Amino acid sequence: MTAAGGPAGRRSPGLRVRRGLAALRLAARGGARYARGAPRLFAAAGEHRQRLRNDLALRTAEDVAATLGTMKGVLMKLGQMASYVDEGLSPAVRRTLGRLTDSVPPMSADLAAQVVAEELGMPPERAFATWDPEPIAAASIGQVHRAITRDGRAAAVKVQYPGIAETIEADLGNVALLRRMLKITAPAQDVDALLAELRDRVTEELDYRREARSQQFFADYYAGHPTIHVPGIIGELSARRVVTSELADGVRFAELAGWPQAERDLAGETIYRFVFRSLYGAHAFNGDPHPGNYLFHGGGRVTFLDFGLVKHFTAEEMAPLAAMARHLCVDCDPEAFRGAMERAGFLVPGAPVPTDAVVEHMALFYDTVRERGPRTMTGEYATAVTRRFFDFRSPLAAYARIPRSYVILQRINLGVFALLGELSATADWRGIAEEIWPFVQGPPCTPMGEAEAAWRDARAAPAQA
Amino acid sequence: MTAGPAPGRGAAAAAGLIERFAEAFTAAVPADPADDGFFGPASVTWRVSADLSAPVAGLRSLMMQALHPLAMAGVDQHSAWRLDPAGRLAATSGYTATVTYGDRASAARAAARVRAIHEHVRGVDAVTGRRYAASDPALLLWVHAALVDSALAACALFGTPLASADADRYVAEMAVQAELLGVPRDGIPDSQAALRRYLDQVRPVLRRTPAAAESMGYLLRLPGPDEEIAGLWHDIAGAAIASLPRWARREYGWQAPPGLDPVTPQGRTQVRQALGVLDAVFLAEPGVLEARQRLELRRRAAGRA
Repeated sequence: MTAAGGPAGRRSPGLRVRRGLAALRLAARGGARYARGAPRLFAAAGEHRQRLRNDLALRTAEDVAATLGTMKGVLMKLGQMASYVDEGLSPAVRRTLGRLTDSVPPMSADLAAQVVAEELGMPPERAFATWDPEPIAAASIGQVHRAITRDGRAAAVKVQYPGIAETIEADLGNVALLRRMLKITAPAQDVDALLAELRDRVTEELDYRREARSQQFFADYYAGHPTIHVPGIIGELSARRVVTSELADGVRFAELAGWPQAERDLAGETIYRFVFRSLYGAHAFNGDPHPGNYLFHGGGRVTFLDFGLVKHFTAEEMAPLAAMARHLCVDCDPEAFRGAMERAGFLVPGAPVPTDAVVEHMALFYDTVRERGPRTMTGEYATAVTRRFFDFRSPLAAYARIPRSYVILQRINLGVFALLGELSATADWRGIAEEIWPFVQGPPCTPMGEAEAAWRDARAAPAQA
Repeated sequence: MTAGPAPGRGAAAAAGLIERFAEAFTAAVPADPADDGFFGPASVTWRVSADLSAPVAGLRSLMMQALHPLAMAGVDQHSAWRLDPAGRLAATSGYTATVTYGDRASAARAAARVRAIHEHVRGVDAVTGRRYAASDPALLLWVHAALVDSALAACALFGTPLASADADRYVAEMAVQAELLGVPRDGIPDSQAALRRYLDQVRPVLRRTPAAAESMGYLLRLPGPDEEIAGLWHDIAGAAIASLPRWARREYGWQAPPGLDPVTPQGRTQVRQALGVLDAVFLAEPGVLEARQRLELRRRAAGRA
């Protein structure tokens, strides 16, 4: 591979980004503005209203193919992924992909029932004691129905659009076109790595059994947790295109705006604990912090939904991440921090950039955990982090890399911080991080921390009943 | 070879293409039509117009139409289309959409406007020395037949192919479009067989004049704002070339891209995928989704009736 700075006439990454963005202006009147404003969290309400229009329901597999075939399903997935790999595509592509999502109507009741029958071997009215033929929510490649199981449990049943797996697999085969699309949506990234990541993720997501396993993994891990709730999977009613879990209800993210700040702070604390506890404790990351994937219950209790995009990290993948946080925030050892970055593959070894500049560039990402004391997450911080991430003019840009296995982690920066900023959540984030960091194992610093410590103690003790 | 347009002049030529097409389309789809217009939701014409292959049909149509020296001369000498190709193409597509989806009054008004413009388009073709007038029913019929033939060809190769009876219905339905512009009804083909007879009959007149070569060359290399979109345009233009009759391709000296001569299943899939991406971008334009939903609701209502 040629490195940057080749013969004259080779375009710089910055120029490539601008050209990629220029393409996207086709898709947005008013033009794409690079990282303008805070990353918006799109409201789910309008989307659902659009998508749940019954009078436009997809009635046959041919309708599904017409709506989601010929790259559209792949583009939707690409958009989901691009939204955590590159904020540079922001408003224009987000809108394009959002509109694409809006353009997908639900399945008709008959079509959904047909998929359930094919997957579970009997029609939904027999598989369940009660089956609600009206979908309650749209999922990216399916929709969610309410049901009551024959043993009386309220359930959420996600049903995949028929034929979608086949069309997406065929469309993923058009590598040349995908490469072109990826250059538009994620101009700054290594296109081949992204393409591989896209294919893996999409292929995984098409098989709901994997999502069921991931969700059950989180449900088991957080069983008994004081504020984190993950609905369990009902395995006997789940298959490749149908996944059934316990039904949860609660308040949607949009409604949280009307809650007292103290409640919002607690909700923010729970989300933060979930993200970093999962990462450091369970070596797993749920890469889809879409605001629609949370239900709030008050007192900081949050239900986490949708585990279609979970990444499990190996110990080898986790080690450098932990080392980076430790060297920068705890040991305050810039050279060691740089070494960890290089080992993780984030920075080309021997890059002619002074370590001070490396630290200066990276410090912003750790800004909320460098010192103890309460801090308020803001939309401005989320935006600043995003800007920094995609600052191709920085001296680091030519030497910075995002190894494929960490691509998904950008969701922390781009999604979670934006979410917490939207809540204006205040907490002693450093104190919470110290509780979670395995290299510190700090004492509980909040009431929720106390409750969590009790949960961890109970979990660690072998059950002796 | 004629020189291409000066570099830079057309730099933004295609920049507004999708936006302008979207504006034209959404304006053409009525929110509250007085009647079902000249076609209606149960027509084959509505189905063909909404087909994924429509952009290929549009491009092929221009390629065919340009092969008539007098039709080409009219465009070449009177239309400033090179100054604003996106605007010119969008206006044509908007006109067709209005006649297709609008109520009768809107369609008739749009047709009257076009006829008024045609009145001023007359002159002498530099190549053949023949006089021409855009209002000449013979020229209008050629333009019409090229469009109808192109829609059928694009559908058959890259869209959802029509049953033969439906293709006949489409040709018959579309006759009213030519009539609206002043072509006497009895000369307009009303079946595939009649369309083929007409095309065979006009074939000796058709050839690539320098003006045709120059404008089609420009169209194929429409200066876009970005190489990635240019890539899509290239794919779709390649599909349009592949869908031309062999003699027309020879006339232009074009070759169909690999996999499209003949069109292999894989070649067809790849063209459809490029069309799908283009359609996704189009769909993101303001109002396009809503306009499509208005049409779909009317189609479904008609299906139930």
